[in-house]
Amino acid sequence: MPAQSPAGPVALWRTRSGRAAAFADRCPHRGMRLSHGFVRGETLACIYHGWSYAKAGNCQRIPAHPALTPPDTIRVATQHVEDGGGIIWISVGEPAAGPPRFEGLAPLRSMVVEAGIVALEAAAGTTAAGDLLDYTYDDRTVWLLLAPDGQARTLMHVLVDDDSNPDERIAASRAAEALRRAAEDIARAGIAR
Amino acid sequence: MKLYDYVLSPSCYKVRLMAALIGVTLDIRPVDFHPGREHRGPELMALNPAGSIPILEDGDLVLTESSAMLVYLAAKTAPQWLGNDTVGRAARVQQWLSFSHRLTASLGAARLHEMLLRPGNIADLREQGIAALRELEAGLVEQHIRGQRFLASDRPTIADIACFPYVALAPDGGVSLDPSPAIRLWSRAVRSLEGFIEMPGIHRLHELTPAPVLEVGEA
Amino acid sequence: MTRNTMIDGWYPVGLASQLDAHGRVTALMGEPIAVRRGEDGNAKVTGGNGRDLPACIRYGHVWSSLGDPQKPLFAIPEADQPGRRLVDVGVVRVRCSPLRAVENFLDIAHFPFVHTDILGAEPHTEVQNYKVEIREDEDEVWATQVKFYQPQAAKSAEGGITTEYMYRVPAPTCSVLYKTCPPRPAEWDVITLFVQPLAEDLCDVWPWMALFDDETPMADLIHFQQTIFVQDRSILENQIPTLLPLDPGMEIPTRADLTSVAYRRWLKRHGYTYGAQLVAQ
Repeated sequence: MPAQSPAGPVALWRTRSGRAAAFADRCPHRGMRLSHGFVRGETLACIYHGWSYAKAGNCQRIPAHPALTPPDTIRVATQHVEDGGGIIWISVGEPAAGPPRFEGLAPLRSMVVEAGIVALEAAAGTTAAGDLLDYTYDDRTVWLLLAPDGQARTLMHVLVDDDSNPDERIAASRAAEALRRAAEDIARAGIAR
Repeated sequence: MKLYDYVLSPSCYKVRLMAALIGVTLDIRPVDFHPGREHRGPELMALNPAGSIPILEDGDLVLTESSAMLVYLAAKTAPQWLGNDTVGRAARVQQWLSFSHRLTASLGAARLHEMLLRPGNIADLREQGIAALRELEAGLVEQHIRGQRFLASDRPTIADIACFPYVALAPDGGVSLDPSPAIRLWSRAVRSLEGFIEMPGIHRLHELTPAPVLEVGEA
Repeated sequence: MTRNTMIDGWYPVGLASQLDAHGRVTALMGEPIAVRRGEDGNAKVTGGNGRDLPACIRYGHVWSSLGDPQKPLFAIPEADQPGRRLVDVGVVRVRCSPLRAVENFLDIAHFPFVHTDILGAEPHTEVQNYKVEIREDEDEVWATQVKFYQPQAAKSAEGGITTEYMYRVPAPTCSVLYKTCPPRPAEWDVITLFVQPLAEDLCDVWPWMALFDDETPMADLIHFQQTIFVQDRSILENQIPTLLPLDPGMEIPTRADLTSVAYRRWLKRHGYTYGAQLVAQ
């Protein structure tokens, strides 16, 4: 699937055996976005010509030349991936430490908000601590893990108490929708002013 | 059963896809919609004064609305696709069938504008399309929380087939599906169904076929 | 800024069969133009400032130029053979470089993945060696002896066959494909891709065909070719960078890509760079 990182767009994928990987979202052959590709076994293949790449980024197979062993120089840039607590983290370069853990919280869904973090904070009435914003509605709290995508857009991962039942999770999802609407209204009003 | 069909029309594809999934063979009559505008010619206007395709003919019955065609195909051959085993589920199916017309009017019109140069206010169409996609995304998230992979149930119904084509083709009109992870998962679930067929703009899931075995000398 | 040497070329700007007095407003390399039928019945094309532009009707389309064409439109002698059916496939707009659209048309290695079970299928993915040349006399790029296994090569083909292709690039945004003709093995079907450059990153693509096929209904022929082209469209709109890189380093060609390599070299040699980028970044 496509994702954003500070180093540019990435293709995020999981091998058949379950390991997550992140590639620069561009096949070095003809520039096609690799996030449109397909996973076979432990490789990600480009949808255009089927060139396939292992988790380490090296090209494994060029279908137009089945007998050829691709030279080691054909490779895509990779990023370091950590898969923890239901959240996939990417680091640009070698990370100094592992990703944060959110004890007692479970990821619910990811959303794109057409507003910056300031507008989200204003809509929630709280301030983000680190990347985490808490939003309380009807005496319940939902946590929002925020990743800015430029100034005017934010990727928002919604987390809930991990003992929430399905009704509570649905309510949390709807609360996150309401928060997004409010933040986008604030952002629009800010632009209009 | 005869389907007046245009290969690039997502509404015609709904009917072809439904038929393929339940094993019904359609007699396809290709219509030169673009560039020939045959759907506005005398033969087809006599059959459907609305001047739209698809048109499904079965004996005396002539249907001109794709949702009605899905209901007809399912009721006749595969009633489990109607999703009407409970009152709530039947209502949910109807809700998404009606909703699917908003997808046609927004994402569908944006696609015709961007691809086949049909008139329209592209900014407005995209905004309406994004609003509809957000509604669908939220609906699918809630279904996922309930442990169900499809729009009205844990198995596919005509509601999924009614919504899938215009959603999967949203990028043709310049509307990205990148912000919609639940839609992407659902799209994969639909494309993984036994008997699934693609249309231009919707690629096959090559991961479903095993990597070909290489034999030296084979071409 | 160097002069755009593509300005003097001929480009398709509409279907001849749809030419009327009312006309259509479109664009050529960023300049708005109007295309209509004049009182004398000929095509009349006017530029953004109201000036008359060169115009001719050929191969089902109206052609025009923003500059001063030094040559008549390229010839496709086979298209004039009696007995061929001429198929107006119609326009498809693509948000991509006009040159990327042509390059994709010249490529066969993508058939099994993008045109699955029609023009190609795994495991038949190998591209055999073929011949590529820039013909100096005609000043055209040619690829010949291109062979590929195809499950359904044409609407008239039943079952899989190894199809032979010849590709020809007579103008920077036009390509002509000659292809095995199932009903008449001694002849070639002619399938063209005429690309109208609207902007460096936007084009209207007008596929056109001249086939020996008296059986298949016209709508079937149109649907077949539209299917193929629209399958390519989602690829073309997702290549990075949008402009075609003419300098090596940005992309990795293999033996299967020799037509593309020759096409890029020919574009660069002539300064046909509208829709191209020259320096790898």
